[in-house]
Amino acid sequence: MAKKSVLLVDDDAVFVDAVSAVLETRYEVRTAANGREALTAIAAAPPDIVVLDVMMDHLSEGFDVARALRSSEASRAIPIVMLTGVDEVFNIRMEIGESWFPYDRYLQKPVAPETLLATLGELLG
Amino acid sequence: MRLTGTSGELHQVFAAELLDRIAWFVRLRWAAGAALLAFAAAAPRVGMPLEWGRVWLVAVVVLAYNAILHALLATWRRSDQADYRWLARCTLIQILIDLAALVLLVHLTGGAASPFLPFFTFHMVIGTIMLSARTMSAVAAAVWLACAALFLGGAGPLGHLPIPLEMRAAVLGALACALGFTVYLTDTVASQLKERGVRLFRLAEELRDKTAELEKLLAEMRAIEARKSHFMLLSAHQLRSPLATVKTSLDVLLQGYVDPASPRAAGLILGASERVEGLLRIVGDLLELAKLREAAQRAPWTSGVNLAQLAVDVADALTPVAEARQITLESSYDADVVLARGVPPDLEYAIENLVHNALKYSRPGGAVHVQVRRSGEFGVLEVRDQGIGIPPEFLADLFVEFARAPNARRHTAEGTGLGLAIVKEVAEAHGGRVEAESRLDEGSTFRLLLPLHGGRTQDPGVTKSERRVTA
Repeated sequence: MAKKSVLLVDDDAVFVDAVSAVLETRYEVRTAANGREALTAIAAAPPDIVVLDVMMDHLSEGFDVARALRSSEASRAIPIVMLTGVDEVFNIRMEIGESWFPYDRYLQKPVAPETLLATLGELLG
Repeated sequence: MRLTGTSGELHQVFAAELLDRIAWFVRLRWAAGAALLAFAAAAPRVGMPLEWGRVWLVAVVVLAYNAILHALLATWRRSDQADYRWLARCTLIQILIDLAALVLLVHLTGGAASPFLPFFTFHMVIGTIMLSARTMSAVAAAVWLACAALFLGGAGPLGHLPIPLEMRAAVLGALACALGFTVYLTDTVASQLKERGVRLFRLAEELRDKTAELEKLLAEMRAIEARKSHFMLLSAHQLRSPLATVKTSLDVLLQGYVDPASPRAAGLILGASERVEGLLRIVGDLLELAKLREAAQRAPWTSGVNLAQLAVDVADALTPVAEARQITLESSYDADVVLARGVPPDLEYAIENLVHNALKYSRPGGAVHVQVRRSGEFGVLEVRDQGIGIPPEFLADLFVEFARAPNARRHTAEGTGLGLAIVKEVAEAHGGRVEAESRLDEGSTFRLLLPLHGGRTQDPGVTKSERRVTA
C-alpha cells in the first residue's frame, strides 16, 4: 500500500525540516511556507492530511487556509491538524464570532514527535 | 442684581430656585386668601366693626389673581426657558400686587389702627430674599407713602377709627422703622447665605471637573494597562515559537529520527542555533524597550547633543556591513544640528536601527543615503534606501511591536519586529516623532524629527499622559 501523504505548512524552515524528519518515517511529506503555497499545492494534488501553522505572513493565515479548505467541496474531507505556538484560547479570542472550528485537532508547539505521529495515525485510520 | 458675572449655569440654578419660591408663594397665597375670607365672615359676628366684613372683597381679588398665577406657573415650568431676570420681574410684580392688596386691606380695617399693619414686614422679608435690598427699599418707600397718604388724608368712611393725628404720625414713624429694618436685617443674612451658596456651587462645579478629569485619566491608565498586558501576551508568543523550533529540533535529534552524522542533523543543529540567536536578539530588544519605558533605567540626559556626529559614528560603524552587502552608504550632514538635550546612547541605538534596516532591506548594488539637516525647530535625520519597500497596507502598523511585513519576513529571517518600536519610543522620549514613506519595490525613507529646543521643557521621565495632568 502506498504511503499516505502529509502537507506540512509552516513559515519556519528549521521547524519544517525537523518535523519532516519525524513524519517521513511513516508518510510521504510535502511542505509549504505560507497559505498561498499551501492552497496551490492542495489544488495540484490533494494530500491525505494537512498540518497547519497559524501565524505566518498574516496573523490568522492558518485559519484562513483551513476555512478555505472546508468551504470547498473538493477539499472538505481532508483532515486538518493545527500545529502552532499560539494557544487555542488566544486564537479563538482573536477569531471571535467563529461558531465552528475549521480543524480536527489543535496541537501546541512544541509537540513531542510521538504525539504528532499518534494524532496523525488516529486521523488517518 | 448680585448675580452679574456668574456663570450661565449658576443663573439657571437660581432661576429654578426662584421658580420654586414663586410656587411656594402661590401656595401661601391660597392660605392667606382663605384666612381672609374666614376673617371677613367672622369679624362682624365677634364684635369687630361691621365694615370689616368688606374684607371679603380683598380676599376675592387675591384668590382671583392667585388663580391666574397658578396657571401661569404651570406654563413657565413647562416652557423650560425661564430666564432669571424675567422671573425676578414677575416676582416683583406679584409682590407689588400683594402689597397693593395689603394696603387696601389696611385701609378697609382701620388705617393706622389696622391689625394687619405688621403683615407688611412679611413681604419685606420675602421680597428681600427673592429680589434685592435696593428694589425692596424702593418698594418699602412706596408702601410707606401710600400708607401716609391714606392715614393723613383723613379718616374716611372706610372704617377708619377716629385716631388723633399725632398717633397716626407715630404709627407711620414706627412703620417706616419696621419696614427699613426688616429689609436691612434680611438683606444682611440673605446676602451671606447667597454668597455661601454661590461659593458652594463653584466648589461643586470644580469637584465635578476634577472628577471628570480623574475619570479620563483612569480610562487612559486602563487603556495603557490593557496595552501592556496585550504586549506581554504577544511577547510570550513571540518567544515560544522559536523555542518550540529549538525543542523540536533537539527532540528529533535525541530520539534518533535523524542520523546524527548526516548533513540533515548538522542543518538542524545550525537551525536551532540560529533560532537561539534570534531569541537572544528578541530578549535584547525587549530589554531595550523596557529600559526606554522605565525612566529610572535610562541612560542620563546630556545637554548639547550633536545629531550629525552621532549619525557619522553610526555610519562609520556600519560601513563594513554595507560593503559586505555591496551597498553604497552615502551621507550628508549640516554641521550645526545640535539638540539642546538628549540621551546619546538611545539616539545612537535609534539611528543605528534605521540605518541597519535600510542596509538589511536593500538589494546588492543599491544605495543608502543618510542625511542630517535642520528644518525649522527640528533636527532631522533621514535614511533613504532603494530596497524592497513596505506594502502600503502595512505602513500603519510599522511601529507596532512585533509587526513585520510579509515581504520583510521573506527577505530576511533576521529581525525581531521590535526595532522600529524602539525608534518610535526614543523619538517620543525626545519630544519628537518618526515618519516613514515607502513605495513597494522602490525603497523607503525614514525620518527622525527631534525638536532642537522643544524637548527641554518636558521632564524626561514623564510619559505623555502624565504630562497632560501637570499641564
